[in-house]
Amino acid sequence: MELVLPTIINGLSLGGTYAMIALGYTMVYGIAKMLNFAHGDIIMVGGYIIYVCMAMGNPLIAVAAAVIGCVILGITVEKVAYKPLRGASPLAVLITAIGVSYLLQSLAQIIFGSANKMVMIHDFGMVSILGVSVQVSSLITLAICIVVMVVLTLFIKYTKLGRAMIAVSEDRGAAQLMGVNVNGIISLTFAIGSSLAALAGFFYLLKSPSISSTLGAMPGIKAFTAAVIGGIGSIPGAMLGGIFLGLIECISYKITAIAPYTDAIEFAILIVILLVRPNGFLGKKRREKV
Amino acid sequence: MIGKFKIKHYINYIVISIVAVVFSVISLSGGQLDNSTLFLLEKMTISIILAVSLSLVVGFLGELSLGHAGFMCIGAYISGKVASLLQESLGNGILTFIISLAAGAGVAALCGIIIGIPALRLRGDYLAIVTLAFGEIVRSIFQNTSAESFGGAIGLSTPRFDKKYLFIIAFVLVLATLAVLQNLIRSKHGRAITSIRDNEIAAHATGINVTKYKLLAFTVSAMFAGVAGVLYSFSNYTVQSSKFGYGYSIEILVMVVLGGMGNINGSIVAAALITFLNTRLATILTGDLAVLQNLLYALILIFIVIYNNSPKLKGFRDKYNLAALFKKIFKPKTDPSVVTDDAAKWDVVPTKIKMDEILSVDITNTDRNQSDEGGKK
Amino acid sequence: MKKVLSIALVLVFCIAMLASCGGGSKNYAKNNTEYVIGLSGPLTGGAGMYGTAVKNSAQMAVDEINAAGGLNGIKFKLVALDDMHDPTKIATNYSSLLEAGMQMSLGTVTTGPGLEFKNLSKDDNVFFLTPSASGDAIPEFSNGYQMCFADGNQGKVAAEFVNANFKGQTIGAFYKSDDSYSAGIFAQFKSNLDSTVKVVETNFTDANKTDFSTQIDTLKNSKFIFMPTYYDAASTFMYQAKDILPADAVYYGCDGFDGIDNVTGFDINAIPQKVTMLSHFNSKATEGPAKAFIDKYTAKFGAETLNQFGASAYDCVYALYGAMKAAVDSGKSIPVTISASELCEILKEQFNGGYTLKNGVTGSEIKWEKSGFVNKGAIQYTIKEAN
Repeated sequence: MELVLPTIINGLSLGGTYAMIALGYTMVYGIAKMLNFAHGDIIMVGGYIIYVCMAMGNPLIAVAAAVIGCVILGITVEKVAYKPLRGASPLAVLITAIGVSYLLQSLAQIIFGSANKMVMIHDFGMVSILGVSVQVSSLITLAICIVVMVVLTLFIKYTKLGRAMIAVSEDRGAAQLMGVNVNGIISLTFAIGSSLAALAGFFYLLKSPSISSTLGAMPGIKAFTAAVIGGIGSIPGAMLGGIFLGLIECISYKITAIAPYTDAIEFAILIVILLVRPNGFLGKKRREKV
Repeated sequence: MIGKFKIKHYINYIVISIVAVVFSVISLSGGQLDNSTLFLLEKMTISIILAVSLSLVVGFLGELSLGHAGFMCIGAYISGKVASLLQESLGNGILTFIISLAAGAGVAALCGIIIGIPALRLRGDYLAIVTLAFGEIVRSIFQNTSAESFGGAIGLSTPRFDKKYLFIIAFVLVLATLAVLQNLIRSKHGRAITSIRDNEIAAHATGINVTKYKLLAFTVSAMFAGVAGVLYSFSNYTVQSSKFGYGYSIEILVMVVLGGMGNINGSIVAAALITFLNTRLATILTGDLAVLQNLLYALILIFIVIYNNSPKLKGFRDKYNLAALFKKIFKPKTDPSVVTDDAAKWDVVPTKIKMDEILSVDITNTDRNQSDEGGKK
Repeated sequence: MKKVLSIALVLVFCIAMLASCGGGSKNYAKNNTEYVIGLSGPLTGGAGMYGTAVKNSAQMAVDEINAAGGLNGIKFKLVALDDMHDPTKIATNYSSLLEAGMQMSLGTVTTGPGLEFKNLSKDDNVFFLTPSASGDAIPEFSNGYQMCFADGNQGKVAAEFVNANFKGQTIGAFYKSDDSYSAGIFAQFKSNLDSTVKVVETNFTDANKTDFSTQIDTLKNSKFIFMPTYYDAASTFMYQAKDILPADAVYYGCDGFDGIDNVTGFDINAIPQKVTMLSHFNSKATEGPAKAFIDKYTAKFGAETLNQFGASAYDCVYALYGAMKAAVDSGKSIPVTISASELCEILKEQFNGGYTLKNGVTGSEIKWEKSGFVNKGAIQYTIKEAN
C-alpha cells in the first residue's frame, strides 16, 4: 500500500490533467473535424496569465482570469486562423494549427523571456490517507477533473446547446438545415476546450511552480495521445485515455530501469493501440466514403 | 515514351551544379572560403535533401509526416557509429564515407518500411501523430543508450569529414537525391503516388496498389532523410539526439510548405533560403530576440497556408498571383502546333485542394460536402 | 513561371553568398587592434543565468585589465555570442567568433555545446580556457583547458564524501537522464561509490520537467539526496518535495546548483531541508579576493546573477592575461595581430609549464595539469542549513 497508493494517486492526478487537455482535443476534433495542434499552448498561455495575475494576490481571481483569457484566445484563434480554412484539406488546417502553436510559443518567449518563471499559487500541504501521506494538490486536481467531466457530460446530454453540439458533430450540413448555428457551436467548442486547457495550466502550476514557454508542448502531445488512445471524438474516451496514460507514465517513472524510456513507452503504446484498434478504446468506427 | 530534352526539366540540376562548381573552384583553388560559408553550404545541402525528401510524402503522397527528423537521427547515429569504427582501419576518407552512407541510409530506409506499415492503416491526423511518436521514440532511445554504444546523453563523437571537400560531396548527394526523386515522380509510379493523394479510394478502385506505393514513398523519403543524417554526422563532431526533436521535423515541414507543396524546386529554394536566414539571423538576433525568427516563420506559415487554401480566397488568388502577374508582363507566345508534354507536368500537379474543388463542383452545398468525417470525399 | 522565379532567387542568393565570402588568409586576426577573446554561452534560456554571469564577469575582468593599461598598452576585447545551450548553434557561433578576430577563447559556458567547440577549435588550434564547461572530454585536445572541476572529478569527490559518511546506508539520487552534464556526473558518482552504499536512483527527461511527484515519492525515505542537476529543475523538485522528504534530509548538488538561492519567485528558505553543493567559490565569502569580486559584481550587475560561473570566468580572463604577460616577460613577442594558432602555442607552453594564477577568486594557487584539468581545492559549501 505504502508503495502503490502514492503512485496510483499521482497517476490519477496526472491522468486527470491529461484528460482535461484531451477533452479539448476530442471535442474540437469531434465538432470542427480538425486536430488543434495549438491546444497544448493554450495551457501555457493560461499558466502565464496566472503568473501575471498572481502578482495581484488572489489565486481564485488569477484562475478566473486565466479561464476568461484562454476562452477569448481560443475563439480568436478559431476565427482568425481556422475559420478561413473550413472546407480546405485537413492537411492545410493541421499545418496552420502547427503555425499557431509556434506563434503562441514565440510570443510568450518574447514577452516573458526564455528563462523559467516561478509562481507559487498556494501551498496545500499533505494529507494522510490509509496511512500514506498524499499531496492535497493531487486530490484537488482529481476532484476538479471529476466534477468537470460530470458537468460536461450532463451539459452535452441534457441541454439544447449540448445536443446541438452532438448534431453538428454527426452531420454539419443537416444540423445547419435544422436551424443550428454551426459557427456559434464551433466557437462554443473552442471556448470550452480552451477553458479546460486553462484549468490544466492551473493544475500544472499547482503542482510545480515553474513555467516556461514550452510548458504546454509535451503535455499537449501526450494529451492528444491520450485522446487517440481513448478514441478521438468520445468524451468518456478522453477521460479513460488520459487516466490510462497518466498511470502508465507514473508507473514507468517508478521503475528505475525503464524510467528514461518513459516517453518512448507511452508513444509505443499509442502506435500499438492504433494498430490493434485504429479507433481507440471507445472510438466509433468511421466509414470511408467516396 | 521518350520525351524531348527540355531544358526546364533539368534546370534545377544545372543551377545546383553551377553553384557547386563555383564554390568548389573557389574552395580548392587556394582562394579559400570562410569557415562560416563552408558550414552554411553544408547546412543548406542537408536542409535541401530533407525538404525534397519530405516533399515526396507531404506534397505528393499527401500524408503529413512529423517524424522526418527521426529518420535523420537514425541515419546520423548509424553512420556516425560505422564511421568511427571504420576510422581506425580505413582512415577518414571517401571509402569510410561511402560505407557509412550505405549503412545510414539503409537502416533509415528499413525504418521507413517499419513506419510505413502503420501508415497503411491510418490516414491524416492519426498518421501525423504516429510519425511524431515514432520520431520521439527514436530520439528517446538514442538518448538513453549506454556511453559505449551510442554515447547516450553525451552524444556520439563522430569523425568529421574534411570541411574543404564535404560540401562538394554534399552537392553530389543533392543531385543524386533530385535525380532519384524527380525520376520517381515523373514516372508511372509517381503518377500512382499523386493519384493516391488526390483520392485514395478512387486510386484503389482503378487498380493502383495503394499499399505498395505508400510504402515506396515512405521508404524512399526515409532513406533520403537518412542520407541527410549521414551528412549531418560527417559535418559535426558530435551527434546529440536533442537536435532531432519534433521541432526540427516541423522546421523541415515549414520549408516544404513555404516552397509550395508538390513543388520540388520550391522546396529547394525555401530550404536554402530558410537555412541561410537562420544562420545569418542567428548572429544578428541574439538573446531573446532570437525568437523573432520563430515568430516570423509561424506568421509566414499561417499566412501562406490560409492564402493558398482558403476556399473563400479562391477568387482573389486566381486574380492576383505571381503567375498571372508574370503573364500580364511577359505575355508568352503560345504556339498551338506544339504538343505539350503532359508527363512532365506531374511535378507541378495542382495540390489536392484544387482537385477537391473540381470534384465538388456538382455539389452546391459545400458545407455539407466537407462535413463528412476526416474531410474524405 | 515559378521556375524562372526560383532560378532568379537561387542566383541572387549565390551572388549574395559570394559577396559575403571573405578573402583568403588564415589569420582572421590580421586587422585586430585589440586582443580578442571569444565566448559562446547561453545568454538566454534555461541556463541563461550562467551565460549572463560569465559574460558579465569576463567583461568586468577585461575592463579592469584595460583600465590598468592592458598588456603593454594593448587592450583586450570580449566578444560573447549566445548559444542558448544548443550544440547545433556552435558551428555558426564559432565561425562568427573566428571571423570577428578571436585569438583566444573562454570556450563555451556549458558542456553540451562545448563538446562541439573543442573539436572545431582543435582544427584551427585556438586556445580555450573554459570557466564552466565541466565535461570530462572538454580538455581532450591539447588546446583545451578548464577552470572548473571536471564532471568526473565532481562525481568522484561526491562519491568519496558519501563513502565516508554513509557506509552501509541507503542514499537517494536524482538526475536528468538526457543531459550530458547531469548523466555524466551521476555515472562517475556511481562507479566510484563504495559497494556497501545503496543508491535509490530516479531520473527525469525534458518532457516532464515540471511534475516530479513520482520521483519524489521514490526518494521519500532518503536522508541524503545526491542531485547533479541544474538549478531550475532542482528548485522545482525541492519545492514539490518540501513536505514529503524528511525535514532533516540533505540535498547535495554539484556546480549546477549554483544560483539556486537567486531564482526569482523561489524562496529557498521555505525549504526545510539542508541544501549543500560542491563548489570552488563561496558566494557568501567575507574576505579575500572572493569578497572583492562579490562586491564589485553586485555593485555593477546586482546579486541576482552572482554565482561561481561568473567567478570562474573572471579568473579565466586573468589567467589568460597572466599567462600572456608571463610569456612577454620571458621574451616572447605577442603582436596584436598574432594568429590564434601562434598564440595557442605560446599559451600552451605557459599553462603546461606550471603557470600559476595566484589569489584567484576561485582558489589561491590555481595550476593546470597537462591534460587540461585544473588543480585546485574544492569547497563543500552550504547554501542553506536545515530549518
